[in-house]
Amino acid sequence: MSVFRDPTIEQRRIRWAWTFLALPIVFYVTIRFWPTADAFVLSFQKWNLLKPREWVGFDNYVTLWNDPVFWKVFRNTFVYLIIGTPVSLVIAFIVAWHLDKVRFLHGTIRALYFLPFMTSAVAMAWVWRWFYQPVPIGLFNNMLASLGFSQVAFLNSTSNALPAVLAPAIWAGLGFQIIIFMAGLRAIPVSYYEAAKIDGVSGLTVLWEITLPLLKPTMVFLVVFSSIGFLRIFDQVFNMTTNDPGGPLNATKPLVLLIYQTAFGGSFEMGYAAAQTVVLFLILLIVSLIQLRILRDR
Amino acid sequence: MATVSLNKLTKRYGKTEVLHGIDLDIADGEFVVLVGPSGCGKSTTLRMIAGLEDVSDGTVEIGGRVVNRVEPKDRDIAMVFQNYAIYPHMSVRRNIGFGLKTAKISKEEKAKRIEATAETLGMTQYLDRKPSALSGGQRQRVAIGRAMVRQPSVFLFDEPLSNLDAQLRTQTRIEIKKLHQRLGTTVIFVTHDQVEAMTLADRIVIMKDGAIMQIGTPSEVYHSPANTFVARFIGAPSMNLLPASGDGSNLRLASGAAIPGSARGDVLVGIRPEDLHPGDPASAPMQGKVILAEPLGAETLLYVDVAGAEVIASGPGQGAPGPGDVIGLSPVTLHIFDAETGTAIR
Repeated sequence: MSVFRDPTIEQRRIRWAWTFLALPIVFYVTIRFWPTADAFVLSFQKWNLLKPREWVGFDNYVTLWNDPVFWKVFRNTFVYLIIGTPVSLVIAFIVAWHLDKVRFLHGTIRALYFLPFMTSAVAMAWVWRWFYQPVPIGLFNNMLASLGFSQVAFLNSTSNALPAVLAPAIWAGLGFQIIIFMAGLRAIPVSYYEAAKIDGVSGLTVLWEITLPLLKPTMVFLVVFSSIGFLRIFDQVFNMTTNDPGGPLNATKPLVLLIYQTAFGGSFEMGYAAAQTVVLFLILLIVSLIQLRILRDR
Repeated sequence: MATVSLNKLTKRYGKTEVLHGIDLDIADGEFVVLVGPSGCGKSTTLRMIAGLEDVSDGTVEIGGRVVNRVEPKDRDIAMVFQNYAIYPHMSVRRNIGFGLKTAKISKEEKAKRIEATAETLGMTQYLDRKPSALSGGQRQRVAIGRAMVRQPSVFLFDEPLSNLDAQLRTQTRIEIKKLHQRLGTTVIFVTHDQVEAMTLADRIVIMKDGAIMQIGTPSEVYHSPANTFVARFIGAPSMNLLPASGDGSNLRLASGAAIPGSARGDVLVGIRPEDLHPGDPASAPMQGKVILAEPLGAETLLYVDVAGAEVIASGPGQGAPGPGDVIGLSPVTLHIFDAETGTAIR
């Protein structure tokens, strides 16, 4: 074949490309795709790591459907998503929008916002855990006490715990989102704003009709990226509620933590955990597809 | 419609002064072109008139009113930008209408004005397209339309043709001139292209290093340039400048040739290529050898070595001398400049 004996420049280029791609492809197939496929199979089986796998049909999914903890966790996961994504994006945009206009100490301020993104989630979670403790240990409650307010049970209340865990998660992701937003803002030509200035439209009109529409590609990326992040939240929750991971009373437990506990929490129900994983996979897939659809059109 | 006056207009960025107190009076309905090389301050001047840059010193007056502290939107101006500044996510209709957003007129009136503007520019069938579906020239027209629809008293153009290809540039240039003739609005147009300046302007303002070199009609700046910069900047190919010394009746060139002229002392003799024609070496005051010939169809540009100096002359389109030929050159019109200051001696 001439492809091998006398390849054209294009064919030679493609051959090199495939040569370099071969290793990562092999890696991804064996480390990522094969286990993913296996998880789908496993979700129809019963397995405790020691005994041979046993086909059980849809049993795992039926158990899941009838498990009140699963539905609680399912709800929590969506609360993380539905509050976390918009709140973090709005804050990140407001910060980026203003930071873009600041010259003085610009680099320093940007670095300060980016710092939490580089910090280990575990370390951060433990620092925030300390913030939330009751008096005389916790920072927030000490402040409240010194101002004469009553104490707030941040992590020990079933209603406060989830927002309290979500706050540092949002904060940690801000730096990244701000950087991406700023890059998006910088890409908008200055003359667009100057033309609007001469036309005399208000700042709000400029924001709604020029800046935000032109930032759409940036927003699509950030919405999808941060949604996946919030749907997979784990480290923050696990580390801030170590005494009773996902507690109190499953109030903060996200799906990933439930999967972890089902698989490695003592009973090693691998099949059941795999079924939960498949559900998480489907949620991620559907949410991402919906977002891409909605944000791409219009 | 309105007059525009700049009085001692100065711009400083920190300690660097980029515009050194320029004075300019533009009459109502006049088409004025600011032209000069990059960094001469022409765009800065325009942006100060628009209100996009603060005035460091001096005043900008539009229609007799000092507008130094007036917001751009209240200056009754419209501006066309080099990159058009039309919004990619809006249809042509919305782009043109964007300038009317704050206008206190009814919806029907706005729609009517947009239609009328599109009609004038021949863009009616493109009103519902997005800019990405338009050609460069059409985008340019949308940008002009957005300025027109506001019916301002002054149009500002910031190098609006430099993103177009040569043919389209010529075409759009003609359209802008026609538009000005029809609307009669005051226009201030910035460009670095002297051909654009010559063809469009009622008056040309030639700038260099933040100062005005000369203000005049295209004919004035071409036929009586105020200094060597203007002489070389306006006209293509550039004017030849030859050092000479005058004794009151003759100008003696470095080559030894003597040309009649009344100047005294060290001067620069400026001769436009089209005023320098090849002839018989024996009878002409200057002789030289042709180094290069550029046939342009109607004429042939001859690069001639005259005693070590390269001089450009204009030969006939057909039958011009070729490289190696020794020719005589007889200048028709001379421009005399002071050798030291470069200013014209008249």
